[in-house]
Amino acid sequence: MKWIHRCLIPAACSLLLSGCWSQKELNDLAIISAMGIDLKEGGGYTATLQIINPANVAGGLQGGGAGTNAPPVSIYTAEGDNIVATNRQATQKLPRIRYYAHTNLLVVSEELARKEGIELILDAIERDAEFRMTSVLVIAQGTTAGELVKVLTPVDKIPANKVIKNLRFAEQQRGEHVTMNVQDIIKDLTAEGKEPVIAGFIIEGDPKEGVALENTHQTEPPARIGLGSLGLFREGKLVDWAEGSAARGTVWILDKLKGTNISIDWEDKQDAVVYEVIRQNTKVTAKLKQGKPAINIQVQAEGNIGETRVQLQLDDPKVLLKLEKAFEKEIEAELITAVEQAQKAKSDVFGFGESIHRSYPEEWKKLKAEWHDAQFPELKVDVTVEAFIRRTGLRNNPHKRN
Amino acid sequence: MPSFFKSKKRKARKRNNQHSQPPEFCQVIHPSLADQLDYIRNKTGSSTDIVIRKASFDEKLGIRTAIVYVEGISDKKTINDFLIESIIKNRELHEKHPKRDPFDILLDEVVALGDVAVHHQWDSIFQSLMAGDTVILIDGFSKALSASTRGGEQRSIEEPGSQVTVRGPRDGFTESIGTNIALIRRRIQNPDLWNEMMKIGTVTKTDVAIVYIKGIAKDEIVDEIRSRLKRIEIDSILESGYIEQLTEEHVLTTFPTYYHTERPDMVAGNLLEGRVAIIVNGTPFVLIAPALFIQFFQSVEDYYGRADIATALRFLRILIFFISIIAPASYIAGTTFHQEMIPTRLLIAIAAQRETVPFPAFVEALIMEVAFEILREAGVRMPRAVGSAISIVGALVIGQAAVQAGIVSPAMVIVVAITAIANFATPSFTVAISARLIRFAFMLAAATFGFYGIILGLVMLTVHLTSLRSFGVPYLAPIAPVIPSNIGDTLVRMPMWAQKKRPKLVASDRNETRVGDNQKPKPDESRGMKRTSEKNGGQT
Repeated sequence: MKWIHRCLIPAACSLLLSGCWSQKELNDLAIISAMGIDLKEGGGYTATLQIINPANVAGGLQGGGAGTNAPPVSIYTAEGDNIVATNRQATQKLPRIRYYAHTNLLVVSEELARKEGIELILDAIERDAEFRMTSVLVIAQGTTAGELVKVLTPVDKIPANKVIKNLRFAEQQRGEHVTMNVQDIIKDLTAEGKEPVIAGFIIEGDPKEGVALENTHQTEPPARIGLGSLGLFREGKLVDWAEGSAARGTVWILDKLKGTNISIDWEDKQDAVVYEVIRQNTKVTAKLKQGKPAINIQVQAEGNIGETRVQLQLDDPKVLLKLEKAFEKEIEAELITAVEQAQKAKSDVFGFGESIHRSYPEEWKKLKAEWHDAQFPELKVDVTVEAFIRRTGLRNNPHKRN
Repeated sequence: MPSFFKSKKRKARKRNNQHSQPPEFCQVIHPSLADQLDYIRNKTGSSTDIVIRKASFDEKLGIRTAIVYVEGISDKKTINDFLIESIIKNRELHEKHPKRDPFDILLDEVVALGDVAVHHQWDSIFQSLMAGDTVILIDGFSKALSASTRGGEQRSIEEPGSQVTVRGPRDGFTESIGTNIALIRRRIQNPDLWNEMMKIGTVTKTDVAIVYIKGIAKDEIVDEIRSRLKRIEIDSILESGYIEQLTEEHVLTTFPTYYHTERPDMVAGNLLEGRVAIIVNGTPFVLIAPALFIQFFQSVEDYYGRADIATALRFLRILIFFISIIAPASYIAGTTFHQEMIPTRLLIAIAAQRETVPFPAFVEALIMEVAFEILREAGVRMPRAVGSAISIVGALVIGQAAVQAGIVSPAMVIVVAITAIANFATPSFTVAISARLIRFAFMLAAATFGFYGIILGLVMLTVHLTSLRSFGVPYLAPIAPVIPSNIGDTLVRMPMWAQKKRPKLVASDRNETRVGDNQKPKPDESRGMKRTSEKNGGQT
C-alpha cells in the first residue's frame, strides 16, 4: 500500500502542472455578437465583426459605465482570402481574444449570396468549435453586410440581438419570415430536393448615420434596420426575393406559420374582415398521376375574427361559414402565389422534391437530374384549405353605425 | 529519516514507562484519624475548598470521625442535614448495639443517604471526594465511607443554542452528566436503556457514559465503542471532541464520523434507531455513533412535521450542500473557461462588472471568500458588545466599498453571499465547516480545469465519502450500499407508517421492526357504512 501512496502523490501534483489550460479571463475576451461577411473586390472576403463593449451595454453604476456616452458595440473589419484567414487577420487590430461562442448572428451580403453562394462560408462556421450551430443567418438585402452590422439600434442596444428578436417576433406574429440558423440551412442545403429560404434585412434611411451614437439618441433614428423580404435559394445561391403574400404563402407551405392576419373583401368593401390565425397545420403529400409527380397541400387553419369594417351578423353560424369559405379562398390564393413564384425562380424551397423522394424513391432517381430545371417548374400543385373561426373576439356583432 | 522515526519511538516508550509506575496514593489507609487527615491535607496541598469537619461519634467510647467534602461541587444542605446533624445527634447508638462495629452502625443507622460506598484505598476515596461525594473517616479504621452528595451550582436546563427548532421540545443538555442521562431516561422509560459509566483522563478523571438500548443497539458496535474508549490514554477529556478525535476511524478526512448534538430528543431518536450515545461530563454535546453522511442533512423537525414538507426540505439541504461547495468554483469555471455556457446577456452583464476588476476570477473569488471567512470568524469570536460593528464594517467593506472601488465585481459578491447563506443553512455545523474547507479545493480545481475540474473533484469527493466508515458502517449507507428498506429516510422522508424498519447496518438484526402493520391512517369507518348497508339492502 505504501508504494501506491508514494506514486499517487506525485501523480496528483502533476495534475497541477498543466496550469490553467485554455483559461481565458473574461476581460481578455472580445465577445463578438455578429459577423458580417462581404465579397472583397478582386476575390476574398471582408469580415465585419461586431464586438460588444460590455460596460456600455449593462449600464448601471458599474465600471465607469457611462452607458450612454459610448457605443454598446465596436466594429472591426478584416480582409482575407478565406473565412479563417479573414478572421485571424482581425487580430491585427483587436486588443483581445476573438470569442465566437456568443456570435448569434451571421450576416451575408446579397452580393455574396447571389454570386458565390453561402455554402463555402458555412463550412468554416461549422468546422469551428466556438461557433454555434444555432447562430441565425440573415441576408443584407440591397446593402452590404458590413453596413448592416454597423448600424446602432435603440431599445435593444446590441444590434445583433435586435435583428434576431425582430426576426423571431415577426415570424411569430406576421408569418412572412422564417428564422433560419446555421444548422437548419446546412440541413436544407444538403437535403435532396430542398432549398433554404433565408430572411433578408434592409437598412432604412442613411446607413452612414447609423454608425454614430446619435442614431440611438433620436425618437426616430435616421438609420434603421428592418425586415426585408424572404430570400429564395437554388443550389446555395440567392435567386429571388419573395414578398408579401408570396412570402407568407411560402412560410405556410413550410408549416412554420405561427400566427398571421388575413384580410378579405366583403360586399364590395376591400379588406373588410380580418382573420387572425392562431394555429395551423399544413401537410404536403406527394402523388404520382399518370407517372407524373403531383403535390397536394392540405392546410388546416384556426383563428379569430380580429376586425370587421362592415356590418356582419357574427352570431349567425351561416355567416361564419360564409366567412370561413372566403378566408379559405384567400389563403389558397396566397399559397398558389408562393408556389408560382418559386416555380418561376426554379427554387424548390418547399421541399416538394424531398417529399417525392420519400414517397417514391424509385421515381425520384429518374426525376432528380432535371428536378430544378424541368420537373419542379412544371409540377402540379393542389391546394386545399380548411379554415375555422374559433372565436369572434370579445364581441359578437359589430356595433351599429348609423 | 528512519533514524528520526526511531528516536521518536524510543521517546514514546520512555513516556509509557513513566506512566506505568504505580501512583502514590494507592497506599493502604492508615487507621489513625490524624494521620488520615494529614494525608488528605498533604495530598490536596491544603486547598481551601476541601472542607474537613471533625465530629465525635459516641461520647463514651470517644470515637472521633471526620467529614470531608469539597465545597462547591457538593450539596451543602444535604451534608448538614443528613450527615453532620445525624452524626452529632445519634450519640447513644453504640449503647443500643454494643456488640456492633461502630463503622457498620454509621453505615446502617446514621448516614441517611442513598448512595453510600466503603473504600479501602486512597485513590478511590479521592475519586469520590473529587466527584462531590462526602467522605466520612473514622478513627481506628483503615477504611472510609463515602456518601453521594454531589451537587452545587449548575447551569439549569435551557433551550439548546446550536440546533434550534420551531417545533419540538425546548430542553437541552447541560454540563452535568447525571442531568443529561436523566433527560434521555425521561424520554425512553424502559429498563432496556442501559448506560455504562467509565472514567477517562489520567488527570481529570472525567465521567464518560455509553448509553444505548439493549436489544436495539448492535452488540458488536457497543463492544467496539467500549473497547475504543478503554484504549484512550490521555491526561484530560475536557469536551466530547477529545473522545471524537481519539476514537474516530478516519483521520484524513474533513467529514465527521460522529454526530454531536445538544438535543435530548435527537439522542433519544438515534438510540431508538440502534445508535449509541457517548455522554461526557462537563459538556452539553453528546456524541452519537455510528454517524452516516445522510444524518447530517436531517433535522429533528423533519420527524415532527409532515413528511412531504420534510422531503422538500431534505432536497433543499442537499442543494444547499452543493451550493456551499461549488458555487464559487462554478463562477470561476464559468467566467474563465466556459463562457459559452453562460447565456449571452448574463455574460455581458458579468463581463461589464469584471471590466474594471484587476484580478483574475480565481484571485477575485479567493479574496472575497477569505474576506468572508475572516468576517465570520470575527463574528463568532468577538465580544457581543462590539458585535454590531462587524456587520457594519463587513457590509460596507465587502458589500459596497470593494465593489465601488472596482476591486471585486458585484456578481462575485452575490456568489459569496449565496455561498455563505447556504453554508449557514446547513443543519449540521460540522458538515458546514468541512464544506467551507472543501470549497477552496474546488475553487482551485475550477481555476485549473474549469468544470472538468469540478466534476473531477466531485468524483474524488464521492470516492472519498464511499471509503469512509463509521464504526464499520459505510458512511454513505443506505445509498451506497443501497438498502431498500432504509431508503425512506434519506433524500426523501417517508411518512412514519411507511418507515417500518430500523437502519439495517446500524441496529441489531433481532429487533428491526419499528412500526406495526396497517398503521396508515384511514378515513373513519362510519363513512364506509353507507356503502355496506346499500350492499346489504341489495342482497335482501
